[in-house]
Amino acid sequence: MAMNPMEQFAIKPLVSAPLFQIAGHPIYFTNQALLMIIVVVASSLFLTLAVKPGRLVPTRGQSMAELSYEFVANMIHSATGEDGLKFFPFVFSIFMFVLCSNFFGLIPGSFTVTSQIAVTFSLACLVLGLVVVTGFIKHGIGFLKLFVPAAPWYLLILLVPIEVISFLTRPVSLSVRLFANMLAGHTMLAVFGGFVVSLGAAGGIFTGLAIAPMLLIIAIMLLELLVAFLQAYVFAILTCIYLNEALHLHDHH
Amino acid sequence: MAEEAHTATTEAPHEGGFPPFDTTTFPSQLFWLVVTFAFLFTVLWKVAGPRINGAITGRRGAINSAIEAARKARGDAEAAEAAYRTALAGARARANALAEENRQALNAEIAQAKSEADAKAAEAMAEADTRIAATRDAAKAHVSVAARDAAITIVARLTGDTVSPEDAANAVKS
Repeated sequence: MAMNPMEQFAIKPLVSAPLFQIAGHPIYFTNQALLMIIVVVASSLFLTLAVKPGRLVPTRGQSMAELSYEFVANMIHSATGEDGLKFFPFVFSIFMFVLCSNFFGLIPGSFTVTSQIAVTFSLACLVLGLVVVTGFIKHGIGFLKLFVPAAPWYLLILLVPIEVISFLTRPVSLSVRLFANMLAGHTMLAVFGGFVVSLGAAGGIFTGLAIAPMLLIIAIMLLELLVAFLQAYVFAILTCIYLNEALHLHDHH
Repeated sequence: MAEEAHTATTEAPHEGGFPPFDTTTFPSQLFWLVVTFAFLFTVLWKVAGPRINGAITGRRGAINSAIEAARKARGDAEAAEAAYRTALAGARARANALAEENRQALNAEIAQAKSEADAKAAEAMAEADTRIAATRDAAKAHVSVAARDAAITIVARLTGDTVSPEDAANAVKS
């Protein structure tokens, strides 16, 4: 009955034959692909159908949709100011994608899209790519001033490489934070789930003891619900902060 | 073909490996991420975002216009009250003016009636005075005639002369 807690992160093709190939790489329809489709279709349908523009008193669903909309809009507004709002669709999509992936991943038996470093790193690279493109469009070559803090020249020899390295590590920190949080939480749930099963199977006094890891699972589950939201929020707010730097360099304090 | 067979075998999770670092799954992951995220982005950008924004701004607009309408209704009510007050004051003033006018008309009528009555009384008095005077004159005339006649008679009785009435009258008068 020993289960590998890492097994839940395995990506398995649901259709054994590859759909097609891109540059020699076969593309499979996997359990992760199914969850991604469920996530985006569910969130798209919910955010579209729960809202009726003419409705003065919102229903419960419409309130949730409007709440998430205004939550992201306020986040962007407070982090980047008025001119950051043109990135609203992007930040809203990032937030909803991560949030729904995290929440759907908590359904037992499903798959956590954001527990894959490939997904989180791609999203982080997308964010930082947008930051770089925005910075160069807005400031031209002056965007490189982002790496030159206000300091005496002899300190700059030290500071500029540090700034460059810290910028280059952002995609890593952004992606690993989300990936590791999801991975750790789900691993913990699986490990304690394994305890429940093995204690329950042991018989005798151990069967009664199985209640302890079970209660722990409930507590961790509640914590994971919080983490699921929190990590989506952190991912989105960091996206806003990075975009703010691209828009305003250092002058926005 | 050989490569496909190779990836197909490594695609399955191998025991003990760490699935998230299994690079053979990366092409599929990236492909589906791009497809699904692009879908979500498009829907939120073109459909859901404007829809929710429309609902929020529509509600804000409706609330603001309701507040505006309420403010306007209050203004109207206040204006109506002010108009009522001025109308009331006007009516009161008009009523007072009417009463005053009435009183003055009555006073004038009374004064006129009084003066008419006074005039009538004065006229009657004057008439009476003239009548009295006439009576007095007549009486006076009667007295002198009677004296003349008496004088004539006395003279005739005493002297037997007949005195002409004119002489008698003169004599009486002197």
